[in-house]
Formats: sequence, structure tokens, C-alpha cells
Amino acid sequence: MAAWKRIVLLAAVAGLLIGQDGTALVTPSVRRVGMRLACLCATCRNTVGDCAMLECGYCKPARLKIAQMQAEGKTDDEIVASFVKENGIQALASPPTSGFSLLAWVMPFVAIALGLVAIAWFVRRFGARRAAAELPELDPETLKRYQEQIEKDVARLE
Amino acid sequence: MENIGALAIVLAFCLAVYAAVGSVAGRLAKKPFLVVSAQRAVYAVFGLLTLASGLLVYLLLTGNYYIAYVAAHSDPGMPTLYKFTAWWGGQEGSLLLWSWLLSGYSAVVMWTNRRRFRDMMPWVTFILMATETFFLTLITFPLSPFKILIAGAKANLVEGQPQGLNPLLQYPAMAIHPPMLYLGYVGFTVPFAFAIAALITKQPGDEWIHTTRRWTLITWLFQSTGVTLGMGWAYAVLGWGGYWGWDPVENASLLPWISGTAFLHSVMMQEKKGMMKVWNMVLVSGTFFLCILGTFLTRSGIVSSVHAFAQSSIGNYFVVFLTVGIAATVWIILDRMKYLKSEAHLESVVSRESSFLFNNLILLSSCFAVLWGTLFPVISEAITGDKISVDKPFYDKILIPVGLFLMFLTGVGPLIAWRRSSLESLRRAFMWPSAAALALVIGLCFAGVYNHPYALVSFGLCLFVTVTIALEFWKGATAIRAKNDMNLVRAAVELTHRNTRRYGGYIVHMGVVLMFIGFTGSAFNKDRTVQVAPGQDFAIGHYNLTVTDLQDGNNDNYEWRTVSVAVRKGGEDLGILHPEHRFYKSSNQPASEVAIRRRLNEDLYVNFAGMSSDDSRIVIQAYVFPLVSWIWLGYYVLLAGTLICLVPPKVRLAYARTEVVGIVPKREPVEK
Repeated sequence: MAAWKRIVLLAAVAGLLIGQDGTALVTPSVRRVGMRLACLCATCRNTVGDCAMLECGYCKPARLKIAQMQAEGKTDDEIVASFVKENGIQALASPPTSGFSLLAWVMPFVAIALGLVAIAWFVRRFGARRAAAELPELDPETLKRYQEQIEKDVARLE
Repeated sequence: MENIGALAIVLAFCLAVYAAVGSVAGRLAKKPFLVVSAQRAVYAVFGLLTLASGLLVYLLLTGNYYIAYVAAHSDPGMPTLYKFTAWWGGQEGSLLLWSWLLSGYSAVVMWTNRRRFRDMMPWVTFILMATETFFLTLITFPLSPFKILIAGAKANLVEGQPQGLNPLLQYPAMAIHPPMLYLGYVGFTVPFAFAIAALITKQPGDEWIHTTRRWTLITWLFQSTGVTLGMGWAYAVLGWGGYWGWDPVENASLLPWISGTAFLHSVMMQEKKGMMKVWNMVLVSGTFFLCILGTFLTRSGIVSSVHAFAQSSIGNYFVVFLTVGIAATVWIILDRMKYLKSEAHLESVVSRESSFLFNNLILLSSCFAVLWGTLFPVISEAITGDKISVDKPFYDKILIPVGLFLMFLTGVGPLIAWRRSSLESLRRAFMWPSAAALALVIGLCFAGVYNHPYALVSFGLCLFVTVTIALEFWKGATAIRAKNDMNLVRAAVELTHRNTRRYGGYIVHMGVVLMFIGFTGSAFNKDRTVQVAPGQDFAIGHYNLTVTDLQDGNNDNYEWRTVSVAVRKGGEDLGILHPEHRFYKSSNQPASEVAIRRRLNEDLYVNFAGMSSDDSRIVIQAYVFPLVSWIWLGYYVLLAGTLICLVPPKVRLAYARTEVVGIVPKREPVEK
């Protein structure tokens, strides 16, 4: 009975899909999955979910396939995995978070971390405490001269 | 005619080599005659390349289709404007444009500094002309724009048959987008040349920065204009309103812009405090090499892009130039490190100096993230053999939080004092901007925007920065008003005129804020695709659209079909839009001419995508893009702010360096 229902449902979906243009197939659920998949038409750099080319040679059949698999009761992950099996990991809109591709995600944050280390080094290297340790004590005569200069400058401002 | 053009390029190549070698030889052998002669050769290079460019344009305008370049990028039906812009529509012509612009910049540099920097100028000439030689090598040997078309010379061309400019490039913004971008790319050669010349000649000060500050700013403005025009073109031409797709070629234009922005900020540290001298050298060099890298990516075919020029063999030339250039630059910076010692110390982590450090960190991190995302597919394929896609979702996830933090720093930076800030002064400075931002976020949550956390944060930060900028103007202008008895607007103008760099900079920041508001609006985009017969209507957002008419026709360049779409909102008639679908005859390519109803709150964007398969119904793609106009508005504010920065200030400010001569001994009474 379950098999019957599935066949009827598939036939209904197929009937609805035949003759439709690619963008008309972008239902919210198709878009949700499509946003995880790259459009591999080599013309745009959109995802299957938001590619706006009406007769896109990749997205149109891809959306049809997503809709059919959803009708079969497949989960989002299963649908995405099937695209990866068919086209390789380039089917994904962004690199997977495993294996070598993990580097794609990690490196920008490593760069920020290295930058923070560099800033910490800069602060230590050129920080006031170190500077103060290297400086001689100021004799009262010099201090007085600078304070007079400050007074003069402030008075000129007013 | 083509022989004269080719000869002019060959002569320009020879003279560029002479200018590069002669200036250095004259400087080292102490023969001023040779140096002056080399500098005059620069003018000759400019003259010869002007001649070559003029001839190419003439050949394009007069339709000499026996020239391969003319046949590939022009056709008789094209309007004159696009025949002219075909100059930079292809690989060879755009490289000629690049070379011509660099020779023009070089000639201006020679002329404006003809009596200055006698030590440095020979090296400046050398670097400018070495770069010029590289580009002239490309158009002299592998990619001459004056090649004559012979059978078999180009596999994709039927002999003498004009192909026409790519229809997508036949758009007014695209006519000026490449020259603007190239003016930016090429312009960064000048500050780089001065920086390296200063290093070579062991200039102790930072004269090169004062000399090249305006160059850098103008170049940055051109780059900003080029990038924004590209966005505007993509928005209006591609048919789906995407203004930024993180395509490798788009990224290539963004990379030097980001590092150039970092340089414009960190250079202030050197001017005012004598700090970050090594870093500024790294930044200006990095920006130059990112310009070259971007050109390499666009032209070598190493990354796949819809915008890239045809794949060619010039990638190896770029690899050699980049390798030699970067190695030489790293060597000279390391060798001259002792001349780049910092003159001041960082007195507190809570200071304007620190905010510049964080600003640079975030800008450079985002630059790295964009570069990494662009190159990762190539790296991945080389190492694992797997092709990989790095598209919009990757960049969104990485760069949206980074961009928001940068926006936060844009607001925080001006509030923190140079040297150090006390907690009390920070509390006072942050109170109103933070309160306004918080109030807006709460208000937006009540308005139902709570399910877009990034948008909430972005709007909050945009208001935060706006209030900080407004307060800066308010405080300065009210002080001037009190002293000079003038109204507030006049006082604000006076304030800006007194310190154009500072207040122009704030206006640039305001432009960036407006752009961020526009970017944030994309979180609320709506789209709908329908197939309708004339007379039928459909709704999108608050709009009701009715297709009222379908007309067709043709001209020399293309065949067209236009639909009339009546727009209504809440019963009010808002007029008629006319999106068009074209079919270009020479290139046999379709293209859309979208119709856009632009408003500050949102754009209604209608694309006539074509006809249904049975030709009975019209396929319309309709979009509502909230706040997108703020991006273009932001650009104009950024343009105004940058121009203000270029105006000489009314009060000549001398940036007194903090001279630390000693420390006050503890418990020493200070006499008043």
C-alpha cells in the first residue's frame, strides 16, 4: 500500500513538473536544499536554489531531481549526498567541513588569530612599559622647559 | 595602418627598456644626462602608446575587420560608443589600455617631480618602466592587438567575419567600468614605485608618503568607482539583480581595494606617530602585487570565471613577473629594516593607534579570506585532485561577521583618542551612539525583524557609526559656531574645510555605512517568476503587475521584444515598466534589458526572460530589492568624501610627532 502511495505521489509530482520552467520549480523546500548546491553551469556562480537563469542546463534538472527525491521522502542530507555522489564535491556550494576542505574554513580564522598574535607582539615590543624602561629620567630643568611650552601653546589656543 | 600601430608598440617597448636601464645606470654612474634622457624616454613611451591606442580605436571605429582584434570585438551594427569601448573589450586591447594608462601616469609623475627628489626619481623611473616593460612585452610578442586575420589564425573566427562586442558589455556603465578599474589598478604602481625608491635610496623620513598620498587616494577612488560601476552593471544587466557574486574576477578587483583601504588607514600612523613603517611598506607593496595578481587571475584562465578573458598563454609571464617582483621587494624591505624603525611607542591598548591596528587586522583578514576563497578551488584540485566550489554561501559565512566587526571599528575608531583614552572618556563617547543603536535594534525586533540576526546587528551598527560621525561634526561645528557667530551648517562646512582629511574621511565612512544598509537590505529580497498572457496580472510584495502589451522590432545591432508592465500598489497607478529581450545578430546571443523602478525604500525589478515553450505566454521574473539604492547613494557620498579629502585644508596642519625625551621621576614635585 505504501509503495502504491509513493508511486501515485511520484506520478503526480512528475506530472506537475513536466513542461515547467526551472524557476517555477523553486518551492521553499526545493530552495532550502538548492541553496546547499552549486550551480555548475559555468555561467553564473549562484546556487541551485537562487540561480535565475530560466533555462539553466544544470539547475532545471537539478531542481526537478530535488523535488522528486523530496516526494520520495528523502532527507535534505540524502539529497545533497546524492548530488555529491553524482558530480563530486564540487556539487556543494561551499566546501565540506571535513578532510582537506576543512582548511578552507579554518584558514581565515587562523589568519585573524595570527594577526592578533602579531598585534600582541607589537604591543609588547612597542608598548609604553618597555619604552619607559629604556628612557632616562627627565631632569627638572627639561621638564620645566616642556611645561612652559605647553602653557604657551594652550594660551595660544585660547 | 596596423604596421604603424605595431611599430609604435615595439618602439615603446624599446624605449621603456631604455628608460628603466638608463635611469638606474645614470644614477649609479652619476651621469645626470643619462637620467634626464631616460626620463624623457618616458614621455616618448606615452606618446607612442597614445599613437598605438589612437590607431586601434580608429581601426575599430572604421570597421577594419581584417584586423583580428577588430573582427573579434566589433561589428558594423554596433553603436559608435561600443565600437570605441571595444578597445578594452578584449585581451589585447585591454592590455594596450593598461600600458597606455601606466605610461600616462608615469609621464605625469616625471613632469610633477622633474625638479624634486633627484636621488629617488631614477629609481621611481626604473620601477615604473620595469612594470611598463612587462606589459609591453605582452602586447609586443604574444598578444599584439594589430595582428592581421589570416585563415587559421583564430580557430573560432571565420575569416573577416565580425563577431561584435559581447552583448552583456554593451551597457553604459560597462563602457567606463574597465577604464576606472584600470586607473585604480595601474595607479597603485606609483606609490609602490616611490616606496621602493625610498627604500633603495635609504630615505630616512617618510617623504614618499607625503608625495604619494594624493596619488593613493585618487587611485583608491578610481578603484572604488570601478568596483561600484561593476556592481551597478551586474545589477542592471544580468537579469536577476545580483550585484556581487563572489566571482574570482570580481574578487580580483576587491583585493587591492581592501589592502589599499588598509594602507590609507595605517599611513596615518606613520604620518602622525612615525609608527608602522615596515607595515606600510608591506601594505603598499602587497596592494601593487594584488593588482598584478588580479590581472593574472583574469587573464590566465587559472580560475574559471564568466568575466575572464579568453584563456591564453600569458600566465607564465605573470608568474615570472610576480615571483621576481615579490622576491626583490621582500629582500629590499628586509635589507633596509634598520631605516624603518618606529619613532614612537604604543602608550595604551585603548588608543586610536590600537584601533588602527585592529582595523588593519580585520581588513587584511577579509582580504586574505577573499584571496583564499578565490584560490582554494585551484589549491584543492592541485593537492587532492578534487574540484571544489567556493561560492556565495562560503563568503557570506566568513565575511558577514568580519564585515560587521569592521563596521563596529569604523564607529569606535574616531571615538578613541590618540595615545590613550580613559574609561570615563570612553563612557561619555559611547553613550549616545550605543543607546541609539540599542533603541533601533529593540524597535526592529518589535517590528518583526528578529529572525534576521545579522540584519539586526548590521542596522544597529550602521546607526552606531552614523551617530558617532554626527557627534564629531556636531561637537566641532558648535564650537566654531560659538566662536564665529555663524549658523550650524556654515560652521560644519568651515569645520570640514579646516581639516579636510579628517572630516572628508568621516564622510567616506558615512558612504560605507549607507552601502552597508543597502547590502543588509538583501536579507529581505523577494522574487517571483510567472508565465502570463497579455492582460493577466500577478502580485509581488505590495505590487500588482499587469502585462499590457507586447511589441517587437529590430535594428542593425539586435532584434528586440518589449513588454509593457503596468505597476499598481494599493490601488494607486505607479506607471508602466518596459523590460526588453534582445537577440544580438553578430554574436547570436540573447540579452535582457531589465526595467527597474528605483526608490530609496526598495527597487521593483522586472525582467522579460523570454516566451514560454509554446510562444503563447510571456515569462516575467519580478523582484523586490529593499534598500538596494542605498548602495549607489553610499558610493556618491564616498565619492564626495574622498574629493573633500583631496582639497587642501584651510588650516595647514603640521602633525607633531610625540617626542618622548624621558620620564618624570616618581615623587618628583612638579612646579606650577
